[in-house]
Parts: sequence; structure tokens; C-alpha cells
Amino acid sequence: MTGFNVMREGWRTAAAGLFVAVAAAITLGGSPAEGVSKGSRWRAEYFPNVPLVTQDGEVVHFYDDLIKDKVVAINFMFTSCNDVCPAETARLKQVQRELGDRVGQDVFMYSISIDPENDTPEVLKRYSEKFKVGPGWLFLTGKAEDIALLQRKLGLFIADLPDPDDHNVNLIVGNEATGRWMKRSPFDDPKVLAEVIGSWLHNWKVPNKSLAGKYEKAPSFPRLSRGEYLFRTRCVSCHALGSDGPLGPDLLGVTEERDPVWLARWLKEPDQMLAEKDSIALELFARYDELPMPNLSLNDVDVAALIDYLASASRDVDSENTSAGP
Amino acid sequence: MLGALRYCFFLVLISFAASMSVAQTPEPPKFDSPTGASPSPLFGATPFTQQMFRFEEFGAQPYEPSECTTCGPMPAAPDCQSGPSGDALDHYLDEPMSPPPTVMANEDLPNAWHTRIEQCVRPLATSAIEGRPGGENFAHQRYEEFFPSMYFKTITAGARINGGVRDEYQRHGYAKGEFGPNGLYYNTIGTEGFDGTTAKIPVKFHPLMPEQDPLAFWTFDGTFPPKLLMARYGHPILFRHYNALPIDPGANYGFGLHTITTHEHNGHNPAESDGYTQSFFFPGQYFDYHWPMILAGHDHINIDASDPRAATIDDNGNVRRIRGDWRETMSTHWFHDHMLDFTAPNVYKGQVAMMNYYSAVDRGNEAIDCHYADPENPNNMNLCFPSGSASAWGNRDYDVNLMVSDKAWDQDGQLFFNIFNLDGFLGDRMTVNYQYKPYLEVRARRYRFRILNASVSRYFKIALIDQNGNRVPHHMIANDGNVMEHAVPFPNAESADLPTQAIAERYDIIVDFSQFQPGDKLYMVNLLEHRDGRRPKEAIPLPEVVLNQYCDGPPDFAAADACDTVVGRFLEFRVVAYTGVDTSMNPADYVEGKKKMIPLPSFTAEELANAKHRSFTFGRSSGTDTSPWTIKTDGGQGFGMDPARLSAAPDEGTAEIWHIKNASGSAHPVHIHFEEGQILKRNGKPPPIWEKWARKDVYRIGPMPDSGDSVEVALRFREFLGTYMEHCHNTTHEDHAMLLRWDIEKPGQLKIMPTPMPTWEGVGYLDTYTLPTYKTGDVDEDDDGVTDDLDNCREYINPNQRDTDGDGYGNWCDPDYDNNGIVNFGDFNRFVRAWGSANPDIDLNDDGIINFGDFVVFAHYFYRPPGPGAKQ
Repeated sequence: MTGFNVMREGWRTAAAGLFVAVAAAITLGGSPAEGVSKGSRWRAEYFPNVPLVTQDGEVVHFYDDLIKDKVVAINFMFTSCNDVCPAETARLKQVQRELGDRVGQDVFMYSISIDPENDTPEVLKRYSEKFKVGPGWLFLTGKAEDIALLQRKLGLFIADLPDPDDHNVNLIVGNEATGRWMKRSPFDDPKVLAEVIGSWLHNWKVPNKSLAGKYEKAPSFPRLSRGEYLFRTRCVSCHALGSDGPLGPDLLGVTEERDPVWLARWLKEPDQMLAEKDSIALELFARYDELPMPNLSLNDVDVAALIDYLASASRDVDSENTSAGP
Repeated sequence: MLGALRYCFFLVLISFAASMSVAQTPEPPKFDSPTGASPSPLFGATPFTQQMFRFEEFGAQPYEPSECTTCGPMPAAPDCQSGPSGDALDHYLDEPMSPPPTVMANEDLPNAWHTRIEQCVRPLATSAIEGRPGGENFAHQRYEEFFPSMYFKTITAGARINGGVRDEYQRHGYAKGEFGPNGLYYNTIGTEGFDGTTAKIPVKFHPLMPEQDPLAFWTFDGTFPPKLLMARYGHPILFRHYNALPIDPGANYGFGLHTITTHEHNGHNPAESDGYTQSFFFPGQYFDYHWPMILAGHDHINIDASDPRAATIDDNGNVRRIRGDWRETMSTHWFHDHMLDFTAPNVYKGQVAMMNYYSAVDRGNEAIDCHYADPENPNNMNLCFPSGSASAWGNRDYDVNLMVSDKAWDQDGQLFFNIFNLDGFLGDRMTVNYQYKPYLEVRARRYRFRILNASVSRYFKIALIDQNGNRVPHHMIANDGNVMEHAVPFPNAESADLPTQAIAERYDIIVDFSQFQPGDKLYMVNLLEHRDGRRPKEAIPLPEVVLNQYCDGPPDFAAADACDTVVGRFLEFRVVAYTGVDTSMNPADYVEGKKKMIPLPSFTAEELANAKHRSFTFGRSSGTDTSPWTIKTDGGQGFGMDPARLSAAPDEGTAEIWHIKNASGSAHPVHIHFEEGQILKRNGKPPPIWEKWARKDVYRIGPMPDSGDSVEVALRFREFLGTYMEHCHNTTHEDHAMLLRWDIEKPGQLKIMPTPMPTWEGVGYLDTYTLPTYKTGDVDEDDDGVTDDLDNCREYINPNQRDTDGDGYGNWCDPDYDNNGIVNFGDFNRFVRAWGSANPDIDLNDDGIINFGDFVVFAHYFYRPPGPGAKQ
């Protein structure tokens, strides 16, 4: 054991230096020791190398240019989908923030439109700018049949959807070289999702950021109310309390500022209100870069809980500000 | 009479509905090979041409704490893509357990493959020999109290030739009964050179098929036959599980993951040994599982160990009484991998073992203290199921484990799995005990079969027929491995053949072959057709299958794209003369109204009245919600799996009622870990006879005739604490991600169990977060915003609580217009008279008109009392 401890000490210093080298190897698509899946069917023979067009108008090939030897996260969306897609994109944006500049280096994100007829590169460009997506995250369009084939091949195709506009909002994440693929929801905790993509898919090559926790530090009963839970899981992708959110308005005091009936309906069916050209809705739409408030499929109980929470949180933040003041 | 009336009423309803529906779903013209690949080639193999394996025992040995000074670490991996050689593994399996087990995880020594991992992955700041999460959280609970008296170890490794290392650990020793010379099962595969040994058995689905590549098949020891743990109550077990899979995750033949965690299905085990999906361990490590082998209720029932029926046996046949509730005695279990996102491929790839629990009542001996000989004498507690009598316990001469599963293989004969089929993976070939359609010789006497469905996504409906295609009567004695109060005969009034058997369900049956002549043949037949992995399509009528009308081209299935090739005969029994005396129990003496086997541990009215309720809705909410396979807990949002999210936390020592609901057209076999439960209602009605007398751990929901869309289960949570799971056991659905975490907490517990986060360098912990309802359960079962204690109709969503006759029952729940306490023809007359009107007193569904919508509600209550639908 002593010998091992010495070795362990040695590694501690070596590890820091070597980390750079390992990171470089990952960027190149895996160290030489990393094997290629023996007998794997999930490589060039399996994935269609269909051409797709990026939001910048560049033609890329799905297998050769987008996934080969890469760690990737892929979802299917369309820009005119006003209920779940914006929320999905906003959540993925959080994942991108967690991964930082690794996106585009050893992690790649792709959102592929299932409405290629309307989602031209220009439309996708505009959409990605609205969400302020960073480099390394491509929005792609192409031929409808090619995209349907990709959905099928990635297991994200549902044959018998009642609503043709409906689609599978899952996200598939994988390491093409090792053949490790996992289906995830964009609504997973963004930190956990970033950990899975950034570390697990690289065979845990990248040391965990979040390993410090010990039982002694476990929180005592973080019991969230239904409203706070909804806020943390659904709203924070775009909004914040007490400052401008990443994509939408500050919600501090919103329950005071807005008529309660208007607010309740806005939370429940914003898409409907936009369609009816409600004046406040249109004003918000224009102010926030034409990014529509998504319909989150909340029921009446959810809406009431959320308004309760926003009201009480606003009071808490206010009193904090007052007591912290001079 | 009332039942018949309701039935007629329903026919009216159905024909009404049928006349209104216009669209018919067209049948798909062609049967897609369900694997998503070409038909698996048979290499000339034909059905029933190889002898079926009997399971090979791990052979748990007495445990005495000691240091082994000559023992080394697990043999090294030669490179990043493969594991140690077979010889090295066999040598290591034969050594004593070293280092000795510890209460908290052993983090003092490095991973046995530390150096190799650094070459293959990255420099490690630290590593640990054991993969169990460190510290108090995953320390063995009540270790000294249930100190291990037995231990066994195995190494999960790639397919290899069996070295015969376990021959000496078989209880029969290849010397006794049918396992001895001249016995039916002395020769392990039925060909020369295999008398009394498993040495040299290769990993093949059939002798004519290729050997499996070490990367294609990963199993316990890496060898065939499949493995069995024989365990006894009152003999706690320490199970050391080593991981010798490749360090490189890509070295997997295209499916499966090299990190693993092992769940003993329905074991009454402490959480740290339950195989939580996120307490997985890495190549080069081991994980110590501690299985206390106590009866549930140990702390609460029979605590002076005075009940003679709560007991275990020793090798001499002496009975030793133990604490706990003998009615909780369990029998047929299995253990398998439970890796997050990868359970389906890992289990499919061979991470499956069976486990038989032995006790004084179910002891694997058919001759001593037989219950039937003197049922009133509590010392005659041995049910004497067919087994044998050469040893005091654990005879398997006439007690046969059958692991049934579908598989597929590629054109090279190597195991195939489609990782991108997220509906559910189906194989196109049937195997029993990993073999393609084997045969088994049986004596002309009674046998017990322990049938496990070990498939990924496929359900079975199993029939037993003779060589002329006639059904052979038999009895079910245990459901999900739990001996029932009464044996259930098949055929019976409710079902001709065994019920639908979902993934992970176990049915123990007794078949009497004494009615047949030597040379006769019988067959097990699967009737249930699948077209995709979401649900079974339908049961094919037996005559079609028997007359080969279903699949036109047997036996090589040239027409593999014309039918489901897993439907049909899959196991042949060949009857051989029996000269002994069969002293096993006759199950016909234990059917309803006659003698009892193990009575149900009933719930008191008080327990049920005080029980907390929770609801779990299994759905496929395509597109418009968060993801296709989700579980909604207690009326909240639908979620996929997040290991750090705690969805429910019952207190230790309490009972709860869990409502399992289906919100999709698919089928989901829902498994709840820890204590088995009792089905109170299925689809709102008393369960069928094979569930009425049963304790279950898999609760099937789905569109099958014997399933339905809701199940109410009563459960207890006793003796241990920590993190457990509930999930769909269609393992594809489970991986994507119909799985949730629940914890048993100590009443008054102040901290929440953190979430382990394993890495190559050791296991850290993440903070756990909770759902808002994790302590309260479902206080608003119909989710209409009115909590159950106030809701005047809990069966329907009625936020406005409209109650026009003011009797306290909301209109939605109150078609009893004449308030005589029952919804009957008097009410129906008033209903019919109001048809088409807007009469608010008759309007049930609050839509302003009396129409078909109200009719559906009316029909629901017909010949039932009105009312909010009490929560039990």
C-alpha cells in the first residue's frame, strides 16, 4: 500500500500536467488506446451520410462531418413549433452554458429541423440568433426524406402520431467512436446532462466537477413547493427573479405588474394569446426578439401554484433588498 | 345476475361505440422481422436437437472471516479491449475471498487494474478496489446482526469455455439422485465426455452454431450453463461481484456497457445491496452485496421466533426457527444488471442468474415433514413440492429452473441487439436457459418448473400441450416466486393457458407426467404474437399454432418475415420411465376451498385506512410533453429518470397503497423493488384468481385481456432504509427512461440520502432533490385541484364540484337520481327521458347536454352505488 500511496502522490502532480494532453487527445477523437467498437453496426455502414445545410448555408454530410469520431447531442425540432420547442431549445442552451467552450471542441450539438420546407438556412439562422446560441451548436435543414431517415435511424421517430405536427422531443447523446448512445430528455437537469455528455460519454476521461459532496453536507429537506418546482424546472431556462433572464423578462414583481387574469391565461396558453394578437403579448414578443413564450402545457393547478410562488418570491427578494440596503 | 346485467349493458355500449367509429386501422401487409435486422440464421440447427442445460450452482460456501496471505488481486487485463484469460479467472474463482469484506466500502486499496486503466483512460489521482459508494451512506446495514454465514463470488466476464471450476460446489456433487451416475442429468449436455462436469462447455446457443465472441456475450463467470444461487432463510449471504469487462467502452460488439450494478429482484435487502442504478462499478473493481435472508416483518412479527413455520433447515434436515412473518416466505428470484440507461443490453447480453430461496415450508425435499400428511400439525410445514429427497434441502432432481427469452444473432451467429430501437427490442429466436429450442428428459412423475421471462421487451403466453396438440392440465403454485395461498389449475374458468407473462414475471407450475408413457413427448408453446416492442399484439389460437397454420415454414422459418417466429413450440419434454415413489404434494389438494399453501399476509382495515396513497402514471406523451416514456408521480409532471430526483419517500414500518396507471396504448410491466405487494384491485375490480392468492412484485398494465390500465397495490416498508426504485421492466422502456427513485426513510429522518456519482477515481455524492409530493403522496388523485379530503368526486375531474341535488356527491359521480343508494333501471329511465335535453340535474359531465358522454359515465356506475369513489 505504501508503494501505491507514493505512486498516488506522484500522479497527483502528473495528473495536472497530463490533463492538457488528454484533453487534446479527446479533441482528436479519442486516444490511440481507445478501441473502435468491434463488430459494431453503428458506424459508417449504419448511419446515412446524407447532406444537410447549416444555418450558415454550408453543406455538411451527417456521418462524415457531423458525428464521425465525435461526442454529439442531437435533437429534432422546428422553428414554428411554439409550444415545446422554444423551451427545449432554451434548456439545451443551459447545457451549452454548462459545457462552456468545450462545445465545438470535443462536444457537438445539433438541432435538426423536421420542417425543412419552412426552415430554410435563413430561418434557422434567425432562430439561433434569437436564442443566442454559441459556436459548436448547429441548426440543420435538408431534404425531408433524409431527415425522416435520420429520425428513424436514431430511434427518434414515432410512426403513429395523432398530430402530424407533433414530434419526439427526445435528445439522443452519443459517442460515435465507442458506440455508446443514450436517449435523454432536454428537460433533464442541465447540470446532470452536461456531466453525462461532458464526462460519461468520454469514458469518464474528464474528471467530475461535482464530486465534492459528502453525506455530511447533504441538504436538510430542500422541500420545494409545486410552484417553486415548476419555476426551477420550467421557467429558469429563460427567466430570472431580480434580473433579466437569459432570454426573457425579469419576473420579479410580475404578479403586481400584470392583471391576475391576464397573467394566468398567459401562463396557460400564450400561443393562443399571440394568435389572437393580445396587445401585451405582441409587445413582449417584439421586445424579446420575437421569441414566443412557449406553451408549457400547465394545468390550472400548476398555474395557480406558479403565481403563488412568483408572488411570494417577489416579496422575499424585495425584503432581502430592503434589509441589505443602507 | 348483476354481473350478467352489467355485461349486457356493456355490449350495448360497445356496439354503440363501434357503430360510431368509422376508421379502421389497416393491417400491415408484411411482418417486419421484429429485430430490425435480417432473420437470425440457424446454421442447420433444428428444434429439439440439443439437451437443455440444468442451471449450474454458484455454490455458496460457509464464510469465516480470515485474511488470505497468498491471495492476490483479480488477474490483470491484458489490454484495453479484453479481460483476463479463462484459466486466470478460474484460478481466481477458486481462491478464498480476499481482502475480507468490510462494513463500509473498501477504499484503502486501489482498483486491481489501476495501472492498465491509466494507460487506457487517463492518469488517476486515486482509485478504489471496491466500487461501492464510500462512507456511512452505503455501509452495510445491520451487518453484525445479520453477519454473513455464507459467501460466493463471481466475475462478470466475456464468453469463454467453462473450466469446470464449480463442479465441486454443486449440492448434488454429481453423485446424488438424477444428478448422479445413471441419473437423467448426470451428463450436462447429453454427449460423450460431459459426465458429471461442465468443463469444456462452450458459450453456444446450439452445438451447430458458432461460439460467442467474448465481446458479444458477458455473463457470470463468462460461462455456460446459466448460474443459480441456492440460498436459505436465516443464512445471510455475502456476494462479491467482480467486473472483468473491457476497460474500453467500445469493446462491446456494438451493445452493452462495461459498468454494472446488480439487483436481486424482489429481495428483502438493504438499499446499499439492492443494485441502485447509479451505484454502478467499473472494470477492475468488485462490489460486496449483503443479502441478509430474513423474513419480512423481522422487527414486527413473530419476534420471539416461536412460529414453527417461520424456519430454515440445516444440512441434516433440522429445522431452526427464525423471526419474521412466515407468510412472507419467498421462493423463486433472479438477479440481473440494473445499469442506468443500459439495463436492456446488459441483461440481454447475459447478466442474468436465478436464485432459489429455501425455507422450512419450501425446502426442496419432498419426503420429510410433509404438510399433506398431517395438515393440522404445525411441525408438518414442508409443502413437499416436487424436488427430490436425496438431500435434506435443495434437491433439484424434479425442480427445474426455466429461463425463457428471445434472442437474435447476426449472420456470423454473434448475439445482436439494436440499440436504436427505443420502442422495445425483440429477438426472433426463442431460447430456454440460453439454448435455442432444447429438449429435456423427464421422469413419468410430478415436476416443478420455475419459469422466468428474461426477455428485454417480449411478453409470453405459455401453453403446455401433448404430442397430439391437446392441452395438458397443470397447476400454478407460485406467482412472481411467491407460493400462493391456493394452487390455481389451468385450464380454469378464467383462462385456458397460463396468464400473460411479462418481462421479469415468474410462474412456478407443477406438471404431472405420470399420466404419460415413456417415449411420449410434450411441448411448451408460446402463443403471444408481437409486432413491436411496445406491447404484445394478440394471442394466436392454439389450434393454429399446433397445426402449423400460423407460421407456414417450420422448422427453419423460411417465411420468417411472414410471422412472429417466437410464437410456437419452444421446449420439448421427453417422458422417461419412473421407478421411484413420488411423495411430492398433489397441487389439486391445494386449490381454492381445499388446503392452503402459504396464506396471504393480509392488511388490516386500519392499515389500509391509514395508508398513504401515491399514484404513478406510466405514459407515452409523444411530443407535446417532456418525453415519450415518462412516469408522472402523484399528479405531477411526467419525468424520465434522474438518479438525483427523489419521487417518493415512505417511512420505515408503514403501509401504503400505490396506484399504478397506464396512460399509453403500450404495455408496461411495473416492478417495485423491496417488499412484494398485494393487488387490491385490477382495473377497479378484484384481480383474477392467479393474482387473488398471490404476492406480486411485477404489476402488469396494458391492453392485454388479463391486464388493464390500473392496478392498486398495498405495500409495506420494513427493516431497511435507503434508496430503491420503481420502473417499467420492459427494459428498453426502463432505459429510456421509465424509472424512478424512491427512498425508505426513518421516521423523523432529517437528511435526505445523497446520490452516488461513481467514476474511475471513486464514488462521490451529489445532492438529492425531491418532488413536492415526495412525503405527502397523492393528495389529489384525479388532479382537479380539489384535494381528496374535500373532493365530492374523485373518479372524475370536477374542479367546480357541481352537486345539483346537494347530497354531497358531485354530479359526475352521482347518476343515482332517485337517491336510493344504487344506480339502476329506475335511474336509467330518467336518464333516457332526458336524452338530448339540457336538464342540469341529469347532466353528469357538465357539458350542457345529455348525450353519449353522459352515457359513458352512467354505464360506469350502473349497478354500483354512487359517490366520490372512496380512496380505499
